[in-house]
Amino acid sequence: MTTGPTLAEVEEVGPAAPPAGPPASGKRLLTTITRDKGALACLVFLGIVVLMAIAAPLITKLSGWGPYAFDSAAINSDLGGLPHGALGGISGSHWFGVEPQNGRDLFARIVYGARVSITISLSATLLTGILGVVLGMLAGFYRGWVDQVISRVMDFLMAFPALIFMIAILSSLPSGNRPVLLVVVISAFGWPYLARVIRGQTMTLANREFVEAARASGAKDTQVVFREILPNLRGSIVVMTTLAIPGYIGTEAGLSFLGVGVAPPTASWGQMIASSVSWYSVDPMFFAIPGAFLFLTVLSLTVLGDKIRSGIDQGEAA
Amino acid sequence: MKRTSRLTGLIGIVASAALALTACGGGGGGSSSNGGSAGPGAKAQQGGTLQVLANAAFSHLDPARGFDGGVNNFYRLVYRTLTTQGAAPGADGTKIVPDLATDTGKTTDGGKTWTFTLKDGLFFETGAPITSADVKWGVSRAWDPEIGIGSPYAKQLIEAPASYQGPYKSGELSTIDTPDAKTIVFHLKKPFADFGSVVAQNTFSPVPKGQGAGNALDSKPIASGPYKVAEYKPGASLKLVRNDKWDKKTDDVRTANPDVFQWTFGLDPATIDERMIAGQGTDANAIAGTVQAASVARIQTPQLKQRTMTGSNGCTTYMGLNSTKKPLDNVKVRQAINLAINKQTVRDADGGSALAEIGTSIQPPTITGRVDYDPYPSPDHKGDVDGARKLLTEAGFGNEFTMTLDTRAQPKMQAMAVAIQQALEPLKITVKINTIDTATYYEVIGTTSQQHDAAITGWCPDWPSGATFLPPLFDGRNITPKGNTNLSQLNDPGVNAKIDEIAKLTDVAAANKAYGELDKQIMELAPVVPLVYEKVLMLIGSNIGGAYLHDGFSGGIDLVSVGLKDAGK
Repeated sequence: MTTGPTLAEVEEVGPAAPPAGPPASGKRLLTTITRDKGALACLVFLGIVVLMAIAAPLITKLSGWGPYAFDSAAINSDLGGLPHGALGGISGSHWFGVEPQNGRDLFARIVYGARVSITISLSATLLTGILGVVLGMLAGFYRGWVDQVISRVMDFLMAFPALIFMIAILSSLPSGNRPVLLVVVISAFGWPYLARVIRGQTMTLANREFVEAARASGAKDTQVVFREILPNLRGSIVVMTTLAIPGYIGTEAGLSFLGVGVAPPTASWGQMIASSVSWYSVDPMFFAIPGAFLFLTVLSLTVLGDKIRSGIDQGEAA
Repeated sequence: MKRTSRLTGLIGIVASAALALTACGGGGGGSSSNGGSAGPGAKAQQGGTLQVLANAAFSHLDPARGFDGGVNNFYRLVYRTLTTQGAAPGADGTKIVPDLATDTGKTTDGGKTWTFTLKDGLFFETGAPITSADVKWGVSRAWDPEIGIGSPYAKQLIEAPASYQGPYKSGELSTIDTPDAKTIVFHLKKPFADFGSVVAQNTFSPVPKGQGAGNALDSKPIASGPYKVAEYKPGASLKLVRNDKWDKKTDDVRTANPDVFQWTFGLDPATIDERMIAGQGTDANAIAGTVQAASVARIQTPQLKQRTMTGSNGCTTYMGLNSTKKPLDNVKVRQAINLAINKQTVRDADGGSALAEIGTSIQPPTITGRVDYDPYPSPDHKGDVDGARKLLTEAGFGNEFTMTLDTRAQPKMQAMAVAIQQALEPLKITVKINTIDTATYYEVIGTTSQQHDAAITGWCPDWPSGATFLPPLFDGRNITPKGNTNLSQLNDPGVNAKIDEIAKLTDVAAANKAYGELDKQIMELAPVVPLVYEKVLMLIGSNIGGAYLHDGFSGGIDLVSVGLKDAGK
């Protein structure tokens, strides 16, 4: 996938030129997505999840149960804390049933879990985005020893068994602020994937005529980078980061599943799935509900990322 | 003086007699003794291979090193001690009976000097006779700083030079006399009426004189009991076969039914539950530890209930409140916390009523002389928030404060911590949960400088007497900067004086009764919150016979009596 500059963009050389046309491509993307039923469904589902995450306290006020409130009446202490009733205790007061052994409301924990998943994955995406773009462009633009150093660091990080190292780091660090630690650790291993693509494209772009033209007309390095090269990387950045978000949601859930993610009692989908493992045969809903949310969120983001990519590719072809 | 075992796969924790029998369907003579042991009592035959499925491996095979309910139970198969606990369910199991010795000890000077005489016909697996010198060698290993990390009683009670560091470094211990090959005489620092119970500790097993240095016994024990180690793969498996030098006629305690004991370690708890529920193939000849909470609902069928055993594990799980930290130094704050904790949610976090009883007093129900009382009552044990708030206001802590609760990195322990956090929230007490790695947990909370405001931990008695429960936890003079067991840092003159007073009693029964009263006196100061008395709830294979839960071994199945109903299977 290469992002070639259009003729219009080549003509936009010079400080006075308006920035390249995101409105047009944004609109085009939106129409591509809304025309596709599958992508639209994904967009709607993601909208619901994001809304849930933002309005979590309001929603749980409506449902009547907070994410940490125990409900001893909803579980059967004599049976090891199994929820009363069918389907893991789904009822009018507990919409998604309750957690075994403590009776915490699953709906509230799903809603608050969405907060954790989305905050961590978006923060990690932002951080990897910044790191990846800056370091990738530095390497691609300056070449030479800068490129050597950055590329070797990238090779090192990419060849590293990241998951094992993440588990090791997270379990040896003191509890501290877990979400921040998670973001930092995930980003530390995530940025090279974006940076490599950015580096390659920066190299190609830096040799293009419009860049040379800008140089010839007296543009400084910073101007060339920010006004000529960066706008042309936009498509790649959008696609790469969109496709990275589901990966980070999965990583966060995975790390929480392995017991090194966010600390209890904070609700997290991965943690819920981990604690549901031993209950699968007597309370399958405890696994099915957080599992479904995690699956659908990751699927939606992946499908959407794919659509955005094809949308951008089409736009470039057009 | 032992902590609740980390071998959760092998042992569980305590019970009340009321519920002990609910899970016992048929299977024959399930007993309903006070200790709460119950289960299929069909006779076992001699012979066959008994399988044990376990999650955690034994801490140590060396009797001077290992010290928890699970490993103590195992030691009885391989080692003999001067006296030992009975082999029976209920109170008979915690009665001290002679083992290597002919009686439970004789004293002529009110408990300061104790004489034991060995039986005839005792041999090690090597064929060498067991002499009093071998017993002395075994006991003196307890002073070795590297080896003697198990039962502390020998070191605490027996007179020894201050610089003594075990037989390998300092030579023979001069204060234990062996006038002849059959007689051994102990000189104590001060009179101790219950010394007959002390010599049942693992440290009193014989080790051939001159042997057992370093880690030798941890990989290859030298058996004096009915079994010897045939093959040991640490962390994976352990195979015991009969020790043909052991003579049944010298041993009134051990039935020693199976020909072979085969342990498999490192199994996932969920896998163990699945295998025990299915009971296929050799798993019909298997025993295992307490089931997981998630499996409780699955073993309610009549067929499985017949294979279920439940009872008390004899330990108390409690939350220690560090009385040196503000505002926990205020007794009213500690009382308020005691009053506010919702013990029902804590019990449910621990596995529900099938796996735990609500705890009210410090001493668990299996302790002799224990008084059943609830110093901080609330309806259904759900916590009395209003009463607690009143106490806090009286103490001047009506406003919010934060406390840090140490807990182990185990799902169950974390769940209990969260239940406590939730119970204190209405009092505006913010509980910060500090999760500590399981392997270093006791080390961290036992180090005064690293200890936080509160910690969830447990305590099991070494024999069912308050002597092994209250003094180690609440004697203020035992507070040490490292390896501290007095987690509440309580140093109360009244309590200390009472402990001394009881220690002087020569009548064991009177002493136990006095400990029951001391329990009340301590709880008025509220240095701990007794949370639950855990229970064992285990499934046994369909071909297992002679199984009962032994109160002396954290409610584990007594290994010296269990066997197969049909040894040919």
